[in-house]
Amino acid sequence: MKILVVDDERDVEDLFRQKFRKEIRNEGLELLFAYSGKEALEILENNNPPLVASVFSDINMPGMSGLEMLGIIKNRFPQLQVSMISAYGDSENYQKAMSYGAKGFFTKPVDFESLRKEIGEILRS
Amino acid sequence: MILVNLISLFLLYYLKKSAGPQGFPENLNRYFKYGMIAAAILIALGIAKAPPEILFQLLSFVLVGGIIYLILNTPELDYQKTLAITPLPIIGVQLLEYLIKTISPAVFDILENYLDAAGFFALIWAVTMWLNHRKQMKEIEIERIISKEQERQLRNTEEQKSQLEVLVAERTSEILKQKEELQEALNDLQSTQAQLIQQEKLASLGQLTAGIAHEIKNPLNFVNNFSELSVDFLEEIGEEMAKISESPEKQNILDLLEDVKSNLVKIRHHGSRADGIVRSMLMHSRGGTGTMDPTDLNLLIREYSNLAFHGMRANPNPINVDIQLELADNLPQVKLNAEDFSRVILNLVKNAFDAMRDKINALGSDYSAKVTIRTKDLGDQILIEVEDNGPGVPDEIRDKLLMPFFTTKKGTEGTGLGLSITHDIIKSHEGKLDIESTVGEFTRFRILLPKAKP
Ligand SMILES: [Mg+2]
Repeated sequence: MKILVVDDERDVEDLFRQKFRKEIRNEGLELLFAYSGKEALEILENNNPPLVASVFSDINMPGMSGLEMLGIIKNRFPQLQVSMISAYGDSENYQKAMSYGAKGFFTKPVDFESLRKEIGEILRS
Repeated sequence: MILVNLISLFLLYYLKKSAGPQGFPENLNRYFKYGMIAAAILIALGIAKAPPEILFQLLSFVLVGGIIYLILNTPELDYQKTLAITPLPIIGVQLLEYLIKTISPAVFDILENYLDAAGFFALIWAVTMWLNHRKQMKEIEIERIISKEQERQLRNTEEQKSQLEVLVAERTSEILKQKEELQEALNDLQSTQAQLIQQEKLASLGQLTAGIAHEIKNPLNFVNNFSELSVDFLEEIGEEMAKISESPEKQNILDLLEDVKSNLVKIRHHGSRADGIVRSMLMHSRGGTGTMDPTDLNLLIREYSNLAFHGMRANPNPINVDIQLELADNLPQVKLNAEDFSRVILNLVKNAFDAMRDKINALGSDYSAKVTIRTKDLGDQILIEVEDNGPGVPDEIRDKLLMPFFTTKKGTEGTGLGLSITHDIIKSHEGKLDIESTVGEFTRFRILLPKAKP
């Protein structure tokens, strides 16, 4: 089960790998990382239907913003679940993300327990 | 001889009448009066030919002579000098007649015709002099009228001048008043401008703060997340280490790991402190969200003052403090954003603790710290007071107290945002925050909240 995490901060990869160490080891979770919206779209484009079960993306990124990317993904792969993670937990971002078809909305600092629950559900589905 | 007395009478009468508007001195009037009486008596005596005729005739001359003497020697009658010399020839002729008649009636018979002629000339003289005198009098009168007119004009001018002066004074005071009003308006404008500049600065500061807070938030999240993870990993390492047999090396590793863990806990602790600061900076620049609901204010105060107290006791440097609640009975429910407003109570009480801690450190056991929290129903407003008997706030910093980033606390103790946020929250409740204080005695924060309209 592959999950794509998109964030311009490279340390997010280490953080997620360490946080979900058990899931990766024991439950077959595979994490892919992209450091920009463009990179994420390239990964998704290479395989149709996409290899990943779900996408978790930062909103505030240089170049293409997470919300922009969300719009494109939802256009191309309507079935793909995308959740947003943002430091700006304001209602405007939330409304936009929801109207673009995001599945979930997490604010930074990320509550890893609820994220773990969410990922657990994806793994079991 | 009647002629002489008539002259006397006429002279006196004329003199009396000639008095100007200011009149003559009292003694002069008396002379005129008695003179006229004397002349009248002498005329009567003369008509009656009462003896001794010769004495009364002499007295008549004395009287007229006295009158002429009076005219010539009284400064007030100076202008009548020609009047005095007018009847002189007549009197002279009469006196001569009298003397000759008295001394030698025979000689008088011889000289009678000459004396009559002299009398005639004396009369002509008198008439001429009289006319002359009248002319002079008229001139004097005209002069007097002219000078009077001039005086009147002068008086008028004076009056106009003083009227003008009054007018000028009035206008001057009006202009001064206007100037003061303008000055006041200018001062108002200047202070408004200063306020606007200050607000502008604060607004841009707010934006800057929000930007900085966000930028700091991401790296801070990494610090917190990684330190948390590492603590978790150390737990796991500990579990694994238990499976390894004891050795001095293992003990050394365990000791080192214990230190690393303690360091990570410190990193996590300070990271969450920084996170709290960032969070309040963000809240400050964004303003709270949430709903205003009818709230039991007394209950909220009870809960959060208690929370503040226990929070303080659990943290480093706890102090002993007496918290007195003087809460109004039957306080109506107040429309509040309870989450925001609880921060107001927390901040104010925490602030009081911090202030009193300084005083305790300075005074020691002589001082017993006390916080009093009151609520009062003021009719259309609710009053909340948080009062401490701490060191007080000097006047010069009282105004700055509510400004963002202003802090009296040393080092890492305060962000300088607590009171500023408190003020913002109260303002968002359409309330007012005042600070009353006496240095060395007390600080009282007074919050006035409008009552919800039913
Ligand atoms: Mg980002």
